[in-house]
Amino acid sequence: MEENKYIGKSTVRIDGKAKVSGAAEFIDDLDFGPDLLYAAIVESKFAHAIINKIDTSEAENIPGVVKIVTGKDFPFRFGLYMHDRFIFAQDRVRFVGEQIGAVIARDAATALKAAKLVRVDYTELPAILNVEQALAKDANLIHPELRHYKHVPWFFPKSDTNIAHLRKVRKGDVEKAFKESDFIFEDTYTVPRYAHCAIEVHGAVGLYDNSDRLTVWTASQSPYTQRNLFAEALAPLGLSHKDIRVITPFIGGGFGGKAGVSMEILGAALATAVKGRPVKVLWSRAQEFYNTYQRQGLTARIKVGLKKDGTIIAMDNILNWDAGAYVEYGANVVNAAGLSASGPYNIPNVSIDSVCVYTNLPPGGPYRGFGYSEFLFGLESHLNEIAKKMKIDPIQLRRKNAIREGDILNYGGKMNANGLIEAIDKVEKEIEWGKKETSSDPNKAIGKGIALFWKAPAMPPNASSSAFLKFNEDGSINILISGMEIGQGLLTVMAQIAAEVLTVPPEKIRVETPDTDRNPYEWQTVGSHVTWGCGRAVESAAIDAREQIFDIVERALGKDRKSLYLENESVKSKTDNNFSLKLCDFIIAGIQKPDGSYRGGPILGRGMFMPEFTSALSDPETSQGGHPNVHYTVGASAVKIEVDKQTGKVKIPKVVLAVDVGKALNPDLINGQITGGLLQGIATVLYEDMRFNNKGKLINPNFTDYKIPTSMDIPDEIVPIIIEVPQPDGPSGARGVGEHTMIPCAPMIANAVDDALGIRIKSMPITAEKIALSVKHS
Amino acid sequence: MPIIHKFDYLKPKSLSEALTVLAQSKNAAILAGGTDLVDMIKENVAQPDLVVDIKGLDELNQIKFENDTLFIGAGATFSDLIESKIIKEKYPVIFEVAKTVASVGIRNRATVVGNICSAVPCMDSGPLLIAYDATVQLAGQKGERKIPAAEWFIAPRKTALQKGEIVTGVSLPYPKVKHAGCWVKLGRYTGEDLAQVNLLILALSDGTFRISFGAVVPIPVRAKKIEKLLNGQTITPSLIEKAKQLIEEEIKPITDVRATKEYRIHMAKVMFERGLDAAIRRLNGNGQAYGTSMI
Amino acid sequence: MRQEIKFKLSGEAIALEVNPNEVLLEVLRDRLGAKSPKCGCDKGDCGTCTVMINGKTVRSCLVLAIEVDGQEVVTLEGLMDSGLTPLQKSFIEHNSFQCGFCAPGMILSATELLAKNQKPNKHEIQEALSGNLCRCTGYTPIIDAIEAITK
Ligand code: FES
Ligand code: FES
Repeated sequence: MEENKYIGKSTVRIDGKAKVSGAAEFIDDLDFGPDLLYAAIVESKFAHAIINKIDTSEAENIPGVVKIVTGKDFPFRFGLYMHDRFIFAQDRVRFVGEQIGAVIARDAATALKAAKLVRVDYTELPAILNVEQALAKDANLIHPELRHYKHVPWFFPKSDTNIAHLRKVRKGDVEKAFKESDFIFEDTYTVPRYAHCAIEVHGAVGLYDNSDRLTVWTASQSPYTQRNLFAEALAPLGLSHKDIRVITPFIGGGFGGKAGVSMEILGAALATAVKGRPVKVLWSRAQEFYNTYQRQGLTARIKVGLKKDGTIIAMDNILNWDAGAYVEYGANVVNAAGLSASGPYNIPNVSIDSVCVYTNLPPGGPYRGFGYSEFLFGLESHLNEIAKKMKIDPIQLRRKNAIREGDILNYGGKMNANGLIEAIDKVEKEIEWGKKETSSDPNKAIGKGIALFWKAPAMPPNASSSAFLKFNEDGSINILISGMEIGQGLLTVMAQIAAEVLTVPPEKIRVETPDTDRNPYEWQTVGSHVTWGCGRAVESAAIDAREQIFDIVERALGKDRKSLYLENESVKSKTDNNFSLKLCDFIIAGIQKPDGSYRGGPILGRGMFMPEFTSALSDPETSQGGHPNVHYTVGASAVKIEVDKQTGKVKIPKVVLAVDVGKALNPDLINGQITGGLLQGIATVLYEDMRFNNKGKLINPNFTDYKIPTSMDIPDEIVPIIIEVPQPDGPSGARGVGEHTMIPCAPMIANAVDDALGIRIKSMPITAEKIALSVKHS
Repeated sequence: MPIIHKFDYLKPKSLSEALTVLAQSKNAAILAGGTDLVDMIKENVAQPDLVVDIKGLDELNQIKFENDTLFIGAGATFSDLIESKIIKEKYPVIFEVAKTVASVGIRNRATVVGNICSAVPCMDSGPLLIAYDATVQLAGQKGERKIPAAEWFIAPRKTALQKGEIVTGVSLPYPKVKHAGCWVKLGRYTGEDLAQVNLLILALSDGTFRISFGAVVPIPVRAKKIEKLLNGQTITPSLIEKAKQLIEEEIKPITDVRATKEYRIHMAKVMFERGLDAAIRRLNGNGQAYGTSMI
Repeated sequence: MRQEIKFKLSGEAIALEVNPNEVLLEVLRDRLGAKSPKCGCDKGDCGTCTVMINGKTVRSCLVLAIEVDGQEVVTLEGLMDSGLTPLQKSFIEHNSFQCGFCAPGMILSATELLAKNQKPNKHEIQEALSGNLCRCTGYTPIIDAIEAITK
């Protein structure tokens, strides 16, 4: 194979200059002129209540107030996978902070002031604040109309319960396998809710102009999905897809929180209420915490059956997810996790119930890891407990059961090629597994922990990507895509992919953030799939452009196109060493014939990609049948911690993460995902935690009390290990990696704490306080 | 988010001008660093009709050491304390405290005096001042007033400040004998945090100790019983055990979003033991450098 | 009561009428178009609103605009009179940003550190940046970028 020139190299980011100079524009940096209006939200005080009456009269009298809207103005349901939400609450509120109405005013201060004067008369209902209450026999129903909700065919809501979706997986004969097991271990692990904490808050600006055109600028990972949902929700107002335009500038972090549609629907809807003028909705940090998607809480009951030699033959997991008040997106997290909740292991007999439970807490939704971090906390902790009880080395136990290429997945498909064993081996070596270490400080203990991880993108079977590629007069290129640059470096990698095909260096390629009027379709930038999906689209757009180039050269100069190839921005010929034609000489202007006429025309490549081999159709009782997942990315991670037995404080001298990325298109960017993802994951296990009071109100909606890591809280040493077992259908063999680096953190630290102190903590987060008090009580 | 509340603003050029406007206004607030005040106005917790910015009063901006007393003016920021030579030399534990207050961008504005005027239980300056038997210096139209720091704090967010008065600074008399100290602050992680337990220990070469707690009490307190137990004694493991037993009598921790009561008590004991050891070592010249966290 | 203030913004003399309740961050962004300081939390916790006043970094979300009368304010825009600084270039080289939202504040904090201390050690760098939250990078590449230009 020929040496790649751009793929696999750590090309510097093409968005670097914009970002370090402050030139990069985010939603709140865009100017909309003096006509811009501001909206403030009237929010629910209660976790569960009936709205009797909304009195806006006092607020209306405030000078500067332009318009006040409430639920009755927008009685439309929407949702990504299930239509269970309204733009504004109708007769009922289901979580503290839910939007009831909005005040639109000339300036933000007036809007805020007036919103406080809107009087809402409620009848409070009993609030359901955890899954146990929600699943109780005579529990109040949070969505009495559940049976009528429209949803995707792979959801199975249970009418007249608080179960919005039940994903059942049945593989082999679990009952028989448990009978045949020599050992059975069962335990329960819990994970609280978490917040994404992108440093930029959500925002949207809508303009419904007098020509009936709706433009919405959003901070989003999903411009096309937003356009689609806006069009669906606002169809009763006469809007269609072509009339709606979504523009997404750079976003200040996503992590899943800016996927789908959450508060952005307000920007779209409110614009229709003040036709002709732009209106801005910008979340405060507090709203960012309580009224966007949150990572769902999980109670996982895990039961594992093994043979004496450590072979796992049976697994039975019940995952109860606290999915919150609306689950239009969160139910798909439950779904995806359910399909894969046996972890990266080859287990012949599996039973999983993944239960999406409505509660009166804020809506759950996608968060980096999409459910996998949550169930792996329990599973990977549990495997260590099993290893301990069976006196097997925890790495041996994992290696023995690790999934390999061709093994049967829970839904009947086959596992893709992967480097899981290689990852285990490398991590084991790097962390010096088996070498017991002691601290020089008698108060401190050193422990090591490992966890494996896997994850597949969770996407509908027809999620697709597309790309346009335009040449400019000087041979430089503009690529148009709607995959989002959310920090991962997508723009740069797309430039590298096109560069490789067209031999134009990445610094001569511009890739910008999406505008649905100009940039072609992309489903969403989620699930660590855009490098793979959008990458394939860009690759095919570049090939399309290359073929057009050869076509022109053949037509104009009579060269045999089979002999043509590209090198250093020129067309060359394998049969004619002297032939060389610079791209910039003809990709717009064409090639002149001796008679003075031209052949050619602007080169415009087009590419698209849809994983045509997937299907979500399967038996609802067993999940057997379809092919819901495109591929799994796998890996292993290990950590060395030093824990203070008295204070419970954990320091991390070293952490190692090995991930099989298929092909590292840009190794530096992958290292960036590893370094960033690890810290985000480590924080969820050591201190982050959303805390609600007994009325369902979030009591730490700020960085003062929801602690995210600072530069003082990083591991001393991070060793990233890239493994490359190619993904046959990926661009140059690549597969996604964005989420995976966060997933193993919680169990690996839990395991290290146990290794250091002999203490198993089964509920996240594993704070210094929990550790110290456990030591004290042990 | 814009500030909704409306107020007037004045930046007096002299203390007497400041006192005059204060006397005339109904509900004035003093602005130095603003790191607490601006946030409180944003949150509608404070609703002053007038904000009096004292950053123009040069006499309040100083840190000086005269007559064996350190004066920290109302305008002196935590960054000023960290950079001050005299503090590093004579009161290194103040440096140690200041280093744990928030982060640089806040420390460049926030002041010790602002901290003790806000007087939230988790404040870092309170234990420091009462350990040094500091006095709070006030100016009012009727003249100046000095209050021992221990009497300054009345309740959470409530101080002895009277209407029309300005705190001009705090004075920390240098102990009569050689001393060393240790500041131990419990946060949820290494990065900046509001304290869950604060502890300041001064070890004096005459064999006495000064010990003060914050964040586990509504207002900072001196641990008098423990001081009495330790003063003049040889510090032995069994004496330390006895002292630890007294901690629960000295503090009144609560459970909140940051920590439980149980952990606070547990940590107060751990911190006490380590802080005492560190302070004594420092006094003996074999301690760890100031700024090293003991937990 | 509206008052006129005069100050320097990244070297330019500004005269502006402000209300006492206007916050510096909002005046810089909305009235003067300096968009590099951002609002990540609005209460002093995140550092994205960092600007310098008289050479020291502050949280412009906690400063009233009226307070900067007579002072020198510098935003990231003001550091680039002769193009990107070596620090900014080092940020690009080390991938010290992902989404880039924290970058302006981060660079200002690092600039202040380097003005005081040309050879900071890793711990001093970590301390100097600890008020600037970054959710993407895990900080290591940022520390690397600073270390690289101090070697
Ligand atoms: S916006 Fe000022 S510190 Fe976060
Ligand atoms: S790069 Fe995204 S917050 Fe720092």
